[in-house]
Amino acid sequence: MRSSAKTDAAEVAATVSEDATRQWVLSGRVQGVGFRPFVYRLAQRYGLRGWVKNRGGDVVVLAQGAPAALQRFGRGLLTEAPPLARPEILSDVPAIPEPAVGFQIRPSDAARPAHAQVPPDYFACDDCLAELNDPNDRRYRYPFINCTQCGPRYTLIERLPYDRANTSMARFPLCPACAAEYADPGNRRFHAEPIACATCGPRLEFRAADETAKCGDDALAATVAALRAGRIVAVKGIGGYHLMCDAGNAVAVATLRRRKCRPDKPLAVMFPMTEDLAALRGAVVLDDRHDTMLRDAVRPIVLARKNPACQLAPQIAPGSAEIGVMLPYSPLHHVLLKDFGGPLIATSGNVSGEPVLTDNDDAEAHLGAIADAFLHHDRPIVRPADDPVYRVIAGKPRPLRLGRGNAPLELELPFALAKPMLALGGQLKNTIALGWGKRAVVSPHLGDMGTPRGLALLQQVAADLQALYGVSAEAVLCDAHPGYATTQLARHLTLPVSTSYHHDAHASALAGEWPHDDDRLVFTWDGAGFGRDGTIWGGEALLGRPGHWQRVATIRPFALLGGDRAARDPWRNALALCWEANSQWHGCNHDTEILRHAWIRGVNCPRTSSVGRLFDAAAALLGLIDHASFEGQAPALLEAIAADGAEAIDLPLARRPDGVWQSDWRPLLHDLQDSTRSMSSRAARFHETLAAMLLAQARAVRAEHGVTDLGLTGGVFQNRRLCECVMAAARRDGFTVHLTQKLPCNDAGLSFGQLIEAGAGA
Amino acid sequence: MTEDRNPIQTLIQTPIQDQFVTLAYGNGGRYMRELIAQIFARHLANPQLDTGADAAHLPMPPGEVMVTTDGFTVQPLEFPGGDIGSLAVHGTVNDLAVSGATPVYLTLNAFIEEGLEFALLDRLIASMARAAQECGVRVAAGDTKVLRRGEGGGLYLATTGIGVRRAGLNLGLGRIQDGDVVLVSGAVGDHGTAVLLAREDFGLKGDLKSDATSVLPLAHALLNLPGLRFMRDPTRGGLVTVMHEIAHATGLTVRLTEDTIPIHPPVRGICDILGYDPLYLACEGRVVAVLSPDDARHALAHWRALPGGEEAAIIGRLSGPGAQVVLQTEIGGERLLEELEDDPLPRIC
Repeated sequence: MRSSAKTDAAEVAATVSEDATRQWVLSGRVQGVGFRPFVYRLAQRYGLRGWVKNRGGDVVVLAQGAPAALQRFGRGLLTEAPPLARPEILSDVPAIPEPAVGFQIRPSDAARPAHAQVPPDYFACDDCLAELNDPNDRRYRYPFINCTQCGPRYTLIERLPYDRANTSMARFPLCPACAAEYADPGNRRFHAEPIACATCGPRLEFRAADETAKCGDDALAATVAALRAGRIVAVKGIGGYHLMCDAGNAVAVATLRRRKCRPDKPLAVMFPMTEDLAALRGAVVLDDRHDTMLRDAVRPIVLARKNPACQLAPQIAPGSAEIGVMLPYSPLHHVLLKDFGGPLIATSGNVSGEPVLTDNDDAEAHLGAIADAFLHHDRPIVRPADDPVYRVIAGKPRPLRLGRGNAPLELELPFALAKPMLALGGQLKNTIALGWGKRAVVSPHLGDMGTPRGLALLQQVAADLQALYGVSAEAVLCDAHPGYATTQLARHLTLPVSTSYHHDAHASALAGEWPHDDDRLVFTWDGAGFGRDGTIWGGEALLGRPGHWQRVATIRPFALLGGDRAARDPWRNALALCWEANSQWHGCNHDTEILRHAWIRGVNCPRTSSVGRLFDAAAALLGLIDHASFEGQAPALLEAIAADGAEAIDLPLARRPDGVWQSDWRPLLHDLQDSTRSMSSRAARFHETLAAMLLAQARAVRAEHGVTDLGLTGGVFQNRRLCECVMAAARRDGFTVHLTQKLPCNDAGLSFGQLIEAGAGA
Repeated sequence: MTEDRNPIQTLIQTPIQDQFVTLAYGNGGRYMRELIAQIFARHLANPQLDTGADAAHLPMPPGEVMVTTDGFTVQPLEFPGGDIGSLAVHGTVNDLAVSGATPVYLTLNAFIEEGLEFALLDRLIASMARAAQECGVRVAAGDTKVLRRGEGGGLYLATTGIGVRRAGLNLGLGRIQDGDVVLVSGAVGDHGTAVLLAREDFGLKGDLKSDATSVLPLAHALLNLPGLRFMRDPTRGGLVTVMHEIAHATGLTVRLTEDTIPIHPPVRGICDILGYDPLYLACEGRVVAVLSPDDARHALAHWRALPGGEEAAIIGRLSGPGAQVVLQTEIGGERLLEELEDDPLPRIC
């Protein structure tokens, strides 16, 4: 393209006689992504005169030249835009010619940034990587190289407008070479706010208890040596620290697990970026969708099936058929992985459930008992962003966690909100969302709100999002659960509060992603949410539309033996089901006398219709797991061992007196305990049976209400096996089926769902 | 006891013949006189208690007069380690004790449900009398009512305590400062667990009994420490509820360290099974104290030397702004201890 610029201009000039003038207004993601320099270069290519400038959050372009050139230029504004830009043309109109010599980038209009966007943090672009690897480049091996097309944004912006002085780079005065690039409209680093080089930019520092501190390339070398020696290093990246160790060293991985008190939860692995990705392909089986997603600008962790020949430490993802893999995204990671020459564990540097650590001193204080050494740098991280996670389900990569690279996530609301609102989400895996007009912005993953750091981060991000987007919330939205930390926080704020029921918010989040006017049937299956009847829901089918959901189907309720304790001990749910069914669990190896008495007397045994707990029970009945060390462990194990193909069991479906359809899981109990059949075939039958149960409920509702549009959401639908079973069967039966695609289907979607609920109900 | 000088004794003619309390015992006539004489006066008699008078004159020792009042509705009425009678004394005595006062008098209101067994009532009031004697307080006035069947849980008691405190003793939430240290005098959650198990008929025998007792010796042991800021007995809502009172009143973060909080193994075991958090369960014989760091060590030594204070521990400190209660867990994490809402509902999704 670049080499043909002169030809284009000459060709255009030859075919046209008279100049024309047009003006474009572009919105979308057009600021902080090198859009104006791009327009400048595009205009140069077509020999156009005029100018480009920022106005509010938009970009305005005026160009004069041959009509054919203008036409191509106009197309190019969209089709050739920089990879990070997402331009939309608001207007494209003839304009009055202005006297102009050449093409200029004009200063920004000082107007309030009504359409301001806070970009996420971008992966290192190819141009920067080429320089990073070029021994003759002045940024050779400089781990903070970036340009207008890449580098950190969300994690370093302190306030808008997005100028260097308003970022955490303000403390690094530019050297003359960087200053010249920054001021040159023809340069890729024209107004690259985090521009840096080894002379003037951030530096690495390696620290270990028994060694002197090392800087720069020595720090990298010391890190690589420590990793090779099987040690654990806390590495400060873009949005926080990772705990890293050699993924091929079983002892190192086991040590990390022991020190982090994380016995089972899968650990993410970062692979070096090589031409053939040989190391990665040796560890996991990649199809095109995985490959594309791994290389995407988001650079997420992608769950991919373990290669049978996988040489990685077996403790990386015990009991799982998949491993979470990712490619380097920051230049630091590129250099580190290249020097190390193999895959590294890259798990969040935090204490379980808390936000990832970002501050050098905090990291040393909190990770000192886990890490043998630290690779710090001196660029402050203004707010954390964990790595995003995706899983390919039903043919598409779907986020399980929002974070660095894909958040803040901007979504369009299907209506205009009457006033700006702040949605505080739920309790675990939480996000918040800010909504105003037709815009909604969802925060990155904030973690467990039952921790002081999680809740403090929520408050910081709530304040930051409002300041950055220039919006002040006039109402607060939260869950109806009285015990959520976010619900309690909402009550302490001075703004009006409205609450949504948990599953209404789940259904509305899905409806907000796939808006249409007709009623739909959304299956909201998860672990626990406060239901309209005061019991704990989690297996509900809701019919209607945002603001007007009606529970039309559920599962036979059972007791949560010991309340929240049931979520950590799958065996409790196995017992509860057997007791409710008046049957025995022969495989139970717990003393159940006290618990049985508690169940009979109703002592801390709230009622639930949770499908998540049904999965827990099934896993325990199979003997797969007794105690879960992380959320969702039991269902993940069950999915991992499920064999291909199985016959579903027909579960009775009956109407309750209140008109709600209710499926009865009791026939499953015998089958799950039938030790004449393999665990994997029983696990498969469990999945097929739940899929069939869902379909039976959907048919019953369709027969009555005519609804054919299904949605599947709630944490249970992170289960690929279940989703794909349901989708195949439902489509055969004439239903259309939607899963969430932009937002996680787990509780990370609640905040957005609360906005949709509030907006639709208003 | 000075029963022979009590005028009401002369009215007693025959012991109560009924097996159960009936509404007639609340009607102000002869039955009521018998009830008062045979049960209340017989056990609680003392020079200040004149059951025939409308009001009592109370000679007071020197010092500031302190008053507190409390109601008792515990179910069941008798539980391992205590009963509603002794609890009605200990609860009120303890409120005075943690305020730095020495209790002197109690008043008593008894609401008896029709159908209560006289033998049980007699045991409960006898237990109350023993507790009062042990604490050195006298019941100076009282009243009884009989409620219709179904309107009361067998017996409700209300006591008002009157005590005296050394002039100038300055204790209160307002004196707490950042950096102060939090102590507890013994293991938490015993009372709440014992009562729960008894109420729900778990039929467990063994080490699990209520900690209900007077905390007077424990509370008084600290009164001479200049760094003593505040004391409270963690009853309803347990330890965490007291911590929230401190956090809200001071605007400071209370930081507790999980592995220093004494919890008896059987309590921990039962709570694990039933899914309860002992930090939220009631105690009836423990003191939480906040002291300056220097005096905290002295307080700990004083307590550990006393019966009932052997398991005393420093469990946390006030640390910076925030008005929240944070538990530093054994694995190095931090957990927010939320204020108790109603019954805890499951939250894990």
